[in-house]
Amino acid sequence: MDTFIKQRIKAVKKGDQSAFADIVEMYKDKIYQLCYRMLGNRHEAEDAAQEAFIRAYVNIHTYDPTMKFSSWLYRIATNLSIDRMRKKKPGVYLDAEVSGTDGLTMYSQLADEGASPEEALESLELQQMVQEAILKLPEKYRTVIVLKYIDELSLQEISDILNLPIGTVKTRIHRGREALRKHLGHL
Amino acid sequence: MPCSEKIVQWMHDYLDGDIQKEEEQQLRSHIQQCEACREHFYALKKTVAFVENVSHFTPSDDFIKKVMYNLPREKRRVRWKR
Repeated sequence: MDTFIKQRIKAVKKGDQSAFADIVEMYKDKIYQLCYRMLGNRHEAEDAAQEAFIRAYVNIHTYDPTMKFSSWLYRIATNLSIDRMRKKKPGVYLDAEVSGTDGLTMYSQLADEGASPEEALESLELQQMVQEAILKLPEKYRTVIVLKYIDELSLQEISDILNLPIGTVKTRIHRGREALRKHLGHL
Repeated sequence: MPCSEKIVQWMHDYLDGDIQKEEEQQLRSHIQQCEACREHFYALKKTVAFVENVSHFTPSDDFIKKVMYNLPREKRRVRWKR
């Protein structure tokens, strides 16, 4: 791990609160991104990301330096996002079909143009469809997909963060990817 | 529909960067011959590209300030120890 971060953590543990600002600066974008992809709402993501950092600060003494610091932070933010998801709408986000006719309209538009995925993503509607497809994933699939694709985390890191065997992480990523394919693969 | 579970498993192993060389070769040659599997694989790769390239938002400009403001105050006990 980065010596700078190690040294900042040490300072925070000794009671130097201002050292924590450097830690927030370093990880805020990733943590915010994680919360946003999990919750699908900017306001809630901002709130959850702030709470994640506050929890990290309060619990800094429980951080085990043999674990990557970013993994520890991701774990806090993931658990917090899951808690909030559960409170928000219990059980409605099972693998539902793409709602309404928007998908079909989008499909015909894009099929004509034959745009590459990168080009197609410049379309705001498609951005929304990708986010909606992520939000439709059941919690256990959404978690691994978000972790894998926000920061290109390795299977091992995801397994550390979620405290799950690598085999389970793999299976969930595979199922999550298949579910996303059903919503997005035809675009 | 792709031909078999095994082929789909290899597709995912490939996307995870976790596939044996020999299996990758078998996957490639199968995909060249089989249209259904080719389409399935293409749809998966496209899906991954969508998810990877979805635009990134950033938190508010005063994010750090808000976090720092909401931290619990330093405990006295800690100050005495220093």
